[in-house]
Amino acid sequence: MKDHKILFTGAVCAGKTTAIRSLSDIETLDTDAKASDVTVRRKKNTTIAMDYGVLELAQDSRVHLYGTPGQERFSFMWEMLANQFAHDAIGLVLLVDNTRKDPFRDVRFYVKEFGEYIRKRRLIIAVTHSDIEPNPGYNDYLACIRELGLMATVMFVDVRNPKTVLSIVEELISAVELEINWAEVGERILDHNGFSLDFYKPIYEETLLDAAMNKRGILGAMHLGAEQEVLSSNIDEQQSVALLKSMHKLSSAIAQKSELVGEVSNIVVGGPAVRTLSMFSDDDQALCLCSERDVSLPVLKQQASDLLQWSRENDYLA
Amino acid sequence: MIELLDKVDKPNVIENSCLLQGKEVLASSFTPDKKNHETIAKQAFNYVFLNVARMNAKHNEAHLEIGDKRLSGFILKPELVLVCMSDKACNIALVRDHVAEVKKLFLQEQVNRMLA
Ligand SMILES: Nc1nc2c(ncn2[C@@H]2O[C@H](COP(=O)(O)OP(=O)(O)OP(=O)(O)O)[C@@H](O)[C@H]2O)c(=O)[nH]1
Ligand SMILES: [Mg+2]
Repeated sequence: MKDHKILFTGAVCAGKTTAIRSLSDIETLDTDAKASDVTVRRKKNTTIAMDYGVLELAQDSRVHLYGTPGQERFSFMWEMLANQFAHDAIGLVLLVDNTRKDPFRDVRFYVKEFGEYIRKRRLIIAVTHSDIEPNPGYNDYLACIRELGLMATVMFVDVRNPKTVLSIVEELISAVELEINWAEVGERILDHNGFSLDFYKPIYEETLLDAAMNKRGILGAMHLGAEQEVLSSNIDEQQSVALLKSMHKLSSAIAQKSELVGEVSNIVVGGPAVRTLSMFSDDDQALCLCSERDVSLPVLKQQASDLLQWSRENDYLA
Repeated sequence: MIELLDKVDKPNVIENSCLLQGKEVLASSFTPDKKNHETIAKQAFNYVFLNVARMNAKHNEAHLEIGDKRLSGFILKPELVLVCMSDKACNIALVRDHVAEVKKLFLQEQVNRMLA
């Protein structure tokens, strides 16, 4: 039996879990290609340990697919995957979400994080979400990797479609496995009755709310959409919910008016005998937290940005 | 009252400040180039504290980070809000401690005015 390995990495929501699941469980495939930007960002789960799947290519050949968690707070897992589980992988697939504010920043970030790893194996930059945001385009990515002095293959993919994920696998494996009938593998993946993937397991996923509750001093969390609608929440007190919603409304109202002074990044209310309520806004969503009085604003800010991986500031990348 | 605001402003902590009574600015040290911030603070803190009151909540301070600044609003007494603007990077505890110090002065001033 020949066992090949491929490691997938990339930022939160880039599509690592979807890619690996695409090859594994056709029933969970999301076929709605018109999902709006907003819908895409309302992702409920984030991977906290790793993704793992196995795809059978032939009787005597299979490929193990590993995915890293996207959040930087789990970066210790990246190391473990790179140095242990997938130390002998044939290549690294860097999934890049084209709707990110600066997708090239993600490229630079991961290329730096996986620098040593990439030097010894192939790198594929697989651009996702290009149906929503077509720019930057193929040539822009080529220019970016040239600038970084990288040898990499750029592919535009939609990881919800198993065939495009398979094309990534083929790109890497066909160099070392000449006998695989890729068309047949593709058919098998798409055939409900013939699961080609024997084993799929997102080792552990947690929701945004769970992740919030695991942070020090956080008593409750609420995730709001652009119209102040509640996407998820575990804050029971109606008073707090109403106040947090009004804070989000306020930040949207200010955002519409004040290009002169900048964007509202957060609003916090507190007092001597009350729980602190805070609201952290992003373009089309907000994270609201209810916390103990003694959690300082810098800590809250750090927790919020970690939770939603918003304004991650890697100074050396700027 | 503007003299009191001079005591509020403190290098590296509070750059500008103003005193609000409802929609009225009683006194302000906001410079002309910072008037936009003052306007936003006025509307925002009115709105926030109105909601706090409506919900019967007890919150008496609010902070809003906008661009590279932080606007902080403190209720000194019902209907009276002290607004302070700091750099976003400035430690919020410094702002709070300083405001606690001058809060007494403000209240004393209010009392004096009433007695006058
Ligand atoms: N419209 C569109 N949606 C996509 C595309 N690729 C992936 N998605 C969606 O984007 C989301 C990606 O979520 P995940 O696969 O959980 O992302 P992840 O990289 O595992 O994220 P973490 O585990 O949080 O690091 C899913 O909702 C996918 O359906 C694409 O090309 N276009
Ligand atoms: Mg995932």
